[in-house]
Amino acid sequence: MRLAPRPKTFASGAARVWRWQRILWWIFVINLVFAYWATKGMAERADWALSHSVASQRLVNGFDLFSLAELAGQPDTPLEQPGPAVFHYSVIFAIFMLFAAGGIVTTYVFDAKPTTTPFFEACGHHFWRFIRLLIYLLLAFIPIGILVGISASIYHRIDEASNSPYSADFFFLAASLLILLLTMLLRLWFDMAQVIAVAEDETRMHRALRLAASLLAHNFGSLLWLYLRISLLAWIVFGLGMYIWMFRLSPVSTTAAFLLTQLMLVFWIAARLWQRASEALWYRQYQAASVTEPAYTPAPSPQPAPIPYSTATN
Amino acid sequence: MAYHIDAKLNTTNHSIDATETLVYRNLTGQPQQTFPFHLYLNAFQPQSTFMTEVRLHGARGVGSDSGWDEKHRASITINKLQVEGLDLAGKMQFIQPDDHNTNDHTVVQVTLPQPVAPGASVEFHITFHDELPEVLYRTGYKRDFYMVGQWFPKVGVWWKNAWNCHQFHADSEFFADFGTFDVNLTLPQNEIVGAAGDLVSTANNPDGTKSVKFHSEDVHDFSWTASPDFTVVEDLWTGSAGPVKIHVLMSPGHMASAARYIQAQKGTLAWYDKWIGPYPYGRITIVDPAHGAGNAGGMEYPTLFTAGTAWYMPKGVLAPEDVVNHEFGHQYWYGMVATNEFEDAWLDEGINSYIEAKSMDALYGPKTSIVNFPFATLSSSDLLRLEYISLPDTDPLTRFSWKYISDNAYGGVTYGKTATVLLTLEKIIGEDTMLAAMHEYFLRYRFKHPTSEDFLKTIEDVSHQDLKWYFDQAVYGTNVLDYDIWDAHSDRLNWWEKEIRGKNPSEEMHRTYVTVHRKGDFIFPVDVLVKFDDGSSTTEHWDGRDRWVRYVYDRKAKLASAEIDPLNQVRLDRNSFNNSFVVHEDERAIHKLHNIWIFGSEWISQFLAWLS
Repeated sequence: MRLAPRPKTFASGAARVWRWQRILWWIFVINLVFAYWATKGMAERADWALSHSVASQRLVNGFDLFSLAELAGQPDTPLEQPGPAVFHYSVIFAIFMLFAAGGIVTTYVFDAKPTTTPFFEACGHHFWRFIRLLIYLLLAFIPIGILVGISASIYHRIDEASNSPYSADFFFLAASLLILLLTMLLRLWFDMAQVIAVAEDETRMHRALRLAASLLAHNFGSLLWLYLRISLLAWIVFGLGMYIWMFRLSPVSTTAAFLLTQLMLVFWIAARLWQRASEALWYRQYQAASVTEPAYTPAPSPQPAPIPYSTATN
Repeated sequence: MAYHIDAKLNTTNHSIDATETLVYRNLTGQPQQTFPFHLYLNAFQPQSTFMTEVRLHGARGVGSDSGWDEKHRASITINKLQVEGLDLAGKMQFIQPDDHNTNDHTVVQVTLPQPVAPGASVEFHITFHDELPEVLYRTGYKRDFYMVGQWFPKVGVWWKNAWNCHQFHADSEFFADFGTFDVNLTLPQNEIVGAAGDLVSTANNPDGTKSVKFHSEDVHDFSWTASPDFTVVEDLWTGSAGPVKIHVLMSPGHMASAARYIQAQKGTLAWYDKWIGPYPYGRITIVDPAHGAGNAGGMEYPTLFTAGTAWYMPKGVLAPEDVVNHEFGHQYWYGMVATNEFEDAWLDEGINSYIEAKSMDALYGPKTSIVNFPFATLSSSDLLRLEYISLPDTDPLTRFSWKYISDNAYGGVTYGKTATVLLTLEKIIGEDTMLAAMHEYFLRYRFKHPTSEDFLKTIEDVSHQDLKWYFDQAVYGTNVLDYDIWDAHSDRLNWWEKEIRGKNPSEEMHRTYVTVHRKGDFIFPVDVLVKFDDGSSTTEHWDGRDRWVRYVYDRKAKLASAEIDPLNQVRLDRNSFNNSFVVHEDERAIHKLHNIWIFGSEWISQFLAWLS
């Protein structure tokens, strides 16, 4: 079924994120704490070298790349590779977000207050389904990986053959945009599958994916635009934040820089939640519109569909 | 010595057929019967010494794991070598003076039937054929772009009473005698040509080719470039030796950098003219290598050099300016002061890097001469110091260029450490004296082949100082310079008595201890600035001979800070962070860094979470 565009979905999605903003702050705080833990050791070691040294002023008054490289270049450098710790914490955070997705989508689909117990019940209820979806998603990334390989090969061929550097670089830009768009479409498809899994309490993820694909195919423009414009807004805010950080903020304003960067991150997380809320709203409108004309028969559930927590009161 | 070369470029199979007449006047003071010639292009073969060394540790951006591709194969073949009517091609013998690798054919030796008497001349008539490589390393072609260097049989140098004609190595450059070059190039009419010589004539031939003649004097090499895609940009600069024509050959997509090249070229010419000496040639040619031929870039030849840029090069990244500054500097340190780049690489690359640091910092700011953004900066002198910091103790500056422990060590020591050694020398003899010494060195040795000892003696002559103690450690040794504040604190003089609350600390006597430690084995006199919390300060001078020294002060003030080398002149100190101790903690630097790390970590998390 084709659903007419609902301009309110965009604004209502934002309102829903705002209404249940505790989710936003909760994710933000966990992300911040994990990032802090991942980098704490290195910061403590660098603190020992920096805080009592006159040379550290080169990093305070501006950002002297040499000073950082000099610090890193010492045989007894306090800056060990932060990679492993950051990666480990990021993986843990990603798993946590996969777990939390069930509760988040349930909140947005049913517009229900995310109190602790029902929220985590919903997280647990959908966790294994979402893991299965993640496996499907990783499989779906294989063709994109192949496309990346083909693009790289074409890029090198153009790069070798062309006298002008533009041809290969413009191809690279175009291919990157295409791959980014395809990746976003994949994400949108799986987002919709997650919404269906929650809204219909669907246990068979391949069916959820099939319906999501069908919905996406029939409402490609409106769904893509719904997702894309929030992404664009998020990137614009990110770019603006980076611009202010790099070009406008005083180099000595460490507190202001911290607040700005965290504000950028809050908006980024909010934008992602906004996408999820908008998708949930869109699907609810689709459900409402298709009462007389069912496009899909939900699978019989072994358990009654969970009626989540209390109804919204705003 | 005079070379007459008549060469024809075949753009279909990227080859050159040429005849060369070399008139060699024997100024060695003794009869000469055996003559070695460089055949550099034979290096581009998998079993050559050059490629063996690339395979060992990589070089000039070519990784040791890059493998072999036939498109990079090149060769130079002497088909005929006649002296006084006798064809001696059959008597030529490949020699390997450096490593006895019999698969290396980069040096050939020929013995004449009769010796050439001192003061007499001999004419070599050589017919040779070049197969050019796709650019792997300085020379070759990329599509229709040609950068042709080290392409003809070049006789060795009689130096230190022996022939000096090393094989071509991955980490070495070149050495040749001064002479004149008359070169006639025949190539397709659509080619735009640039060369290391004055254009004498251009004539179109009936077969669709053209012949372009060049003449060059007082140079020791001749290179040329051709491409139908070049855009020619010209400018003029006038210095103390007269006008210099700046001839820029820009490749497609790079035109935005043309003005930057020219601006950097003019600034560098003016700086050299003021501090080092006049540029005597009437022209300088800047070749912007074609897209994908980056490895032909950043290379010097007499009166011509290759630069390098990208179409997206931001103004805040001064790479085009820096490469022009550095490669033009080689017109002095290699072009005119023609040191042996095989054996004394530090004298050309190192001295040139030192002057690059001085001139770039003077032209573009002492902190912003390489990277200049509001959010990040980097200077040329700091970049060179970074190269040194990474490998400070593996090789002395005087190591033969192919004998370094690694390619990184060659770069770090030859470029970075030499520049840092000379910048630190300014602290001992003064910046003005150092620049005067560089000027004197140029005047004494232009159009000659000076040695390391010549350079060091010139500095001692100009500064009137015996600097053996410094040169032994910094030039001939591998000593590491690193001082640190071992301990710095204040204690109440009557520490056994209870502290009286409310008493003004400034009325109380304190004993302050500052212990300075020499971590490395490089002995260097340093200043130590000790500041107290009443605003007073004192400066100590330590000769650095002992491993440590402790300064003790009894004052009605407590320690505020202690700093070794407060003016940051001892650039050879590999770690400037441990050179000072400030009592009051300032956490702004670590907060700034930690914020960046946290932000980066959060974004990696967000990316992974996006998948879930």
